[in-house]
Amino acid sequence: MNEITESQDQRSAAVSLRGISKLFDDVTAVDSVDLDIGDSEFFALLGPSGCGKTTTLRMIAGLEVPSGGSLQIFGEEVGSLPPNKRPVNTVFQNYALFPHMSVADNVAFGLKMRKIPKSEISTRVHEAISLVRMTGMEDRRPNQLSGGQQQRVALARALVNRPKVLLLDEPLAALDLKLRQEMQFELKQLQREVGITFVFVTHDQEEALALSDRIGVMNAGRLLQVGTPEEMYDAPIDRFVADFIGRSNFLKGTLESAEVVCLANGQRIRVPQVDAVSVGDEVQVSLRPERVIIGDLDSAPHDSAQLSGTVETETFLGNSVVYRVALDWMTIEVEADHRPDVERYHAGDRVDLWWRDNAVAVVRP
Amino acid sequence: MKLGAAELKREREERRRGFFLALPSFAYMLLFFALPLVIVLIYSFATRTSTGSTALSDWNVDAYRKLGEPIVRNVVVRSVVLALVTTVICLVVAYPFAWFCAHQRPTVRNVLLIAVMIPFWTNFLVRNYAWRILLSKGGPISTFTEGIGLGEVDILFTKTAVVIGLVYAYLPFMILPLYASIDRLDQRLIEAGRDLYGSGPQTFQCIILPLTMPGMIAGSILVFVPSMGAYVTPELLGGGKETMLGSYIVTQFLTARNWPVGASLSFVLMTVMLVSTVIYFRSGGRNL
Repeated sequence: MNEITESQDQRSAAVSLRGISKLFDDVTAVDSVDLDIGDSEFFALLGPSGCGKTTTLRMIAGLEVPSGGSLQIFGEEVGSLPPNKRPVNTVFQNYALFPHMSVADNVAFGLKMRKIPKSEISTRVHEAISLVRMTGMEDRRPNQLSGGQQQRVALARALVNRPKVLLLDEPLAALDLKLRQEMQFELKQLQREVGITFVFVTHDQEEALALSDRIGVMNAGRLLQVGTPEEMYDAPIDRFVADFIGRSNFLKGTLESAEVVCLANGQRIRVPQVDAVSVGDEVQVSLRPERVIIGDLDSAPHDSAQLSGTVETETFLGNSVVYRVALDWMTIEVEADHRPDVERYHAGDRVDLWWRDNAVAVVRP
Repeated sequence: MKLGAAELKREREERRRGFFLALPSFAYMLLFFALPLVIVLIYSFATRTSTGSTALSDWNVDAYRKLGEPIVRNVVVRSVVLALVTTVICLVVAYPFAWFCAHQRPTVRNVLLIAVMIPFWTNFLVRNYAWRILLSKGGPISTFTEGIGLGEVDILFTKTAVVIGLVYAYLPFMILPLYASIDRLDQRLIEAGRDLYGSGPQTFQCIILPLTMPGMIAGSILVFVPSMGAYVTPELLGGGKETMLGSYIVTQFLTARNWPVGASLSFVLMTVMLVSTVIYFRSGGRNL
């Protein structure tokens, strides 16, 4: 039963990577990545610069040849096909619009290369340009467009070909903050409208959380974890992931049993069960600053984890206050809401901290 | 917005400073380019006396009329054809080389570009004589082809020899601007072309070629113009049989002693080149 479902999943995967690696002069850029991206999914490859995410995207596009592994697009092995023979299109970082062509000619380029009849080209180009709301700009040159407009033309130029998968390399990085937020929204809407698989690469965790159905976090060439934005935030399995998506405190300890960690100070706390580590392993417990409750032990459930310490510094952020609290064995950050009904603490105050069992995640150190 | 008095004064000062800095070049161009050109222009309207001297009187346009005669026309046609052939060969040879250079590591590319310049370290005349030896009957090339059974090569004093000499002389002028424009080409545009279903040749034709066109045109002007007016190479390698414009002009001045015709031909040649160059820079310059 299980096997059947699995093979069906494989068939419906838009992009499927098996043991994909890429070496540049003996430097491993991508290290044996296994990944399935579903049909119509908005998938983000997230990681710091140099983590191999762009190289992975370029291998899917055909702009780099994998050093090893298998790469399938809708079940067809494409690892050795040149980019022009793959049913994917790319929105390049900084867009790479052809400077010697008008907006309309840029958008028509892919269709012309495939020798689509002229009448069909003009209808499809018209449709694509109106899809990205650039009607009336057909005769402009790329250098006469703003960054946001160039971005839209790049999207139209790719989507007009009706690719099976659209690849986007840091699509919003070149835009300023306000425009970036607008385009995030538009991009999400566009993906729902056209209903094809989007795979995008970003180093911006907020962008990944806001846009994608699922996120894959990469570091040093390896794919560490794949999951929905909520899973990635609530249940990271790797310290890097917990640290890269949002902020976190890391408490050292040992996994004593499936649901108990013995912290470095000897205290035992209950934790959600995880598969990534086994009993007896050295682990770290990821504790989000805003999930720690400061003060008022009376309202703490009897089974909650509790610590006490001294406030070292307080940082006011408007909607919240971040306290650095020194325990006798480490310092942790706690973020408390800033509201009239929440007590405010100051440097030197002795405070009690507590959190619920499900507020933490056990991660690989 | 109106400029204040202090701003106006500052602007005037800066303009004056710029003028003084450019003065030496202005003076040089005026004295050694514009003035001689005016003299050439004056002589082109002068009269050739029966003794072969030039009388600066009885201004007329006889010299220009003479340019329409078949003998001059033949020289012009031959010059244009040889210069065109030279330009096309240079373009075809230089493009792959410039492409190769632009895609090497910086050290390798510097070495290659210096190698392109090395021939300039030897006197132009010496290099032409060297070709004369290389191409002559019984010379190294001929000996080699005979050795491998292709028979002897006797191309010295032919159009082929002239073109070989011209290509050799002006190839660097094609390579350098081509290299500059290929180097400036954004690699991602080529990738975008491939990503958008362009095959290798299609991408070359639709993206690489148009975007490196400024370099191709600049290189072609730099090769075509001096080839048209070449004197030493056609004389030495063409043996005086393959007269080109440069040789013809020299003959008019020194042998035929017909200064007005030499002057008029020089002036027309210069004007045509200047006008076509200006047209190029005004139309293509915007694409750079």
